[in-house]
Amino acid sequence: MSFFGFDTTLPRDRGRGPGAPKGFFENSDPFAQVALADKFVDGDAVDFEDTYDGLGDQLDDDQDEFNDDTFGGGGETAPVGRDFDFFGRTAGVADVIGEEQVRYSLQNPQAAPAPAQRAAPATAVPAESTSRRTGYEKYSEPGYIPDLQAKSSVWTQKAEPTPAPAPAPAPSRKIMSLEEVEAIEAQMRHRGQPIGGLPPQQIPQSMADLYQRHPQHFPTLPDGFPQLPPELQAQLEKGGMPHPPPGMPELYGGPGPAMPPGAPFLQNNLPPQNMPPQGPRHAGPPQGQRPQNMQQQPPPPPSSRAPNNGLPVITNPQQLMHLTEEQRNTYLVEDAKRAKRNHKIFLLSRGNGLMTPQDKNFITRIQLQQLVAAAGNVADSDPEAVLAEDFYYQVYSQIRGAPRQHPHQPLGHFAQTYLLQTGNRLGGNRHRHPLQGADNHMQRMQQQVQRAVEAAKAKPKNKQLIIEGSLGKISFSNAKAPKPMLNIKRPDSSEGPRPKKVQSDLSLSDRKSILTNIERVYSALMSMEDMERTMPPPPEEGDADAIQEHMEWRQKLQSLNQKLWKALKVMEPIVPNSTTPHPFIAFLSHPKGKKAIPRIFRHIDQEQRVTILTMIVVHLDSLDVVRLAQSIPGEAQPSLAVREAIDLFSLAVMPSLLQYVNEAPFNIIIGLLGLVIAQTHVQSVARTKVGLGILTMLLSRAELVKEAGQAPERDWQQWVEKFNVLFDTLEPVLADIFPGSINSGDDMYVWQFLAAVGIGASPEQQQRLVIAVKDRVMETVGYSKSLPADMSSQRLGNVNLFMRAIGLDVELLG
Amino acid sequence: MLFFSFFKTLTNQTVTIELKNDIRIRGILKSVDQYLNIKLDDVEVLDLAQYPHLSSVKNMFIRGSVVRYVMLPRSEVDVGLLEDATRREAANQAGKAR
Repeated sequence: MSFFGFDTTLPRDRGRGPGAPKGFFENSDPFAQVALADKFVDGDAVDFEDTYDGLGDQLDDDQDEFNDDTFGGGGETAPVGRDFDFFGRTAGVADVIGEEQVRYSLQNPQAAPAPAQRAAPATAVPAESTSRRTGYEKYSEPGYIPDLQAKSSVWTQKAEPTPAPAPAPAPSRKIMSLEEVEAIEAQMRHRGQPIGGLPPQQIPQSMADLYQRHPQHFPTLPDGFPQLPPELQAQLEKGGMPHPPPGMPELYGGPGPAMPPGAPFLQNNLPPQNMPPQGPRHAGPPQGQRPQNMQQQPPPPPSSRAPNNGLPVITNPQQLMHLTEEQRNTYLVEDAKRAKRNHKIFLLSRGNGLMTPQDKNFITRIQLQQLVAAAGNVADSDPEAVLAEDFYYQVYSQIRGAPRQHPHQPLGHFAQTYLLQTGNRLGGNRHRHPLQGADNHMQRMQQQVQRAVEAAKAKPKNKQLIIEGSLGKISFSNAKAPKPMLNIKRPDSSEGPRPKKVQSDLSLSDRKSILTNIERVYSALMSMEDMERTMPPPPEEGDADAIQEHMEWRQKLQSLNQKLWKALKVMEPIVPNSTTPHPFIAFLSHPKGKKAIPRIFRHIDQEQRVTILTMIVVHLDSLDVVRLAQSIPGEAQPSLAVREAIDLFSLAVMPSLLQYVNEAPFNIIIGLLGLVIAQTHVQSVARTKVGLGILTMLLSRAELVKEAGQAPERDWQQWVEKFNVLFDTLEPVLADIFPGSINSGDDMYVWQFLAAVGIGASPEQQQRLVIAVKDRVMETVGYSKSLPADMSSQRLGNVNLFMRAIGLDVELLG
Repeated sequence: MLFFSFFKTLTNQTVTIELKNDIRIRGILKSVDQYLNIKLDDVEVLDLAQYPHLSSVKNMFIRGSVVRYVMLPRSEVDVGLLEDATRREAANQAGKAR
């Protein structure tokens, strides 16, 4: 009886009847719960014997060598440390175990479903403490994505399908793959735990377990590993913690099957002194050094180890004692050097293995895409796009020859070149990595970049990105479309400049509309020039497609020609006595209008050319170069602007006209001369350089036709009539057609005109001509005597042009 | 890209660049990029007395945004072609805006 009325009997005193409560650990049937649970799984009972694969029976019980190390047996009398803190240690590497399981399942997809099935019995077996958490639970969640590690093996080809685990007689060993050891060590280093303090067999327990279930998979090393050299194999056979040759997983994690076994490994086959010592731990290099040693990627070149070769291999401090002073010094110096080097390598190698080659390729791809997007388009293989973007440079370098010194590539080819370069660089590596993967990567990358660019081109550009919940927005920009600083809404083209247009149509000849006209002409010209570049090859006989293509092209060109012709406004009706000049004449009054003429003449037919020439001749005295060039009394010469305009006209327009006139039939020449006489004020026209030039042109052409005997008699009569009228009109002003005073320089065009008149003139007319210009001749001859020899001869030569035309010579004048 | 295209043709020509802080630098244009950053060689600073710190500079990279003027050798500019290039550029821009 207790004071509070509790039952005070101790458990041991209670009855052991079936109804009596049991202690927590006294559950008699550990599988009872499972059996209970099974009843609810729609009767599909799982028989333990069926699911248990019997692997436990295969446990190799004779590998007890390290039991003492593990469990502190033997003669050791050291105080009890934390050696038995298995939970703590397991917890310390719990992550690793999880990772390993994920990795394993990835490597071995067939294995994944099996453990899930096994999970039920496993929970009931208290002995398998680690398999309570199988690590696969997560997979049962529908949305679970495994924590992906940058494991190179993940990327390689899948392992050959492993046959379902069968109780195979293959010897099972509790050893891990090098890769796993490496991963665990890396993990430990991460946590700052010294590797040495880790009992080697603890962590891998679960992995060993896993591998035991797949015995035939295990003894062959994970794929991607080459055949191990025999001494290592032997070491592995001995069990215990194998020390991986440095850098293995990083180097060979890549593609496996393509690699000739053994060959690449030779590189890593280090001379013995570089192998981690196999003796007792304390004899090895200082603790901190080991892991770096393992990480060190490519083996150090043999030359760096050369000085060591003369020395015995030191594996034990005692050995050091026996060495001579000198040797010891050398050794220590070497050791220090090595330590330093290793430290450096360690510093550099922190990031080792963080990125697989695939990751790097991915980054490179992104960078290339950026590059391509910034620099232009890879697909600029078609010259049209290049020309559109880089017109000035392209054409300029064509005109001025190859660009100097440094060979610029066209912009668009830049990215392509870059891609090729990287391809080469990788190809250069191929002797080290005899992998097919490398090429594929580059090809894939190229394709991908191109596809990306295509896509970027195709899809409408999203100018900015607003991330949900953020306050700002991210604008995208590149060199071609810089980030807009101002965001101005364009007025809809339907509303904006419309009203003005009506106005501009009203006044055809205000400055602005003239300029607009000129631009229209230019744009028509440019599209015609573009068309010319894309001219299809001349069709061959019977090639219907080519003919069709050619026809279409011609049609397009024709329509462009019509556009150009309309823009020129040559055919606008001539309004007599109008105050505003004819649109075409207005067009010619602008420098860029004048400059367009040679280009226009290339693209129009003869009929259009004669129309233009007629237009010019009819409006000769309203042309700016004629109208403004009239010499004003008191001023020696027209203003600078006018002189420039005249020069430009002579350079740009006259050659085109001359070229046409030189091919023109005689009747057209006659007609033109008639127009000059009838429509223009010949006397004032003759006072200008351009006017005289056109007259000279017509007169000399007529003379050439006559010389060639092509002129029918009737036409010639007509011409002589016109000529006589012209001569009569001009005779009174012949003395005034010279520009300014005698020393003002250029009067050659006048002498040319006089010569042209002189040739065509009758003897009587020649007499009158000589009389009219005699003074000027004498003056010039006299003046030239005061000039330096070359200038003098030039002036005399000009005069002689005229003198010879009428059968005289300056020499005769003495 | 017109300006870029244009300046590319001026490589290895002597140009004078005036910066927004009034420093004027004459040198050989070595290269130019899309941002109109400029690389100059054989640099010579005008009014050197005012900027003694630049007296030992032989070549430089100028960020495009600090350039006020670039003075060009006239003979190296094809005006007619440049006019056409400008027209094309304008047409391109108009095409894009639409």
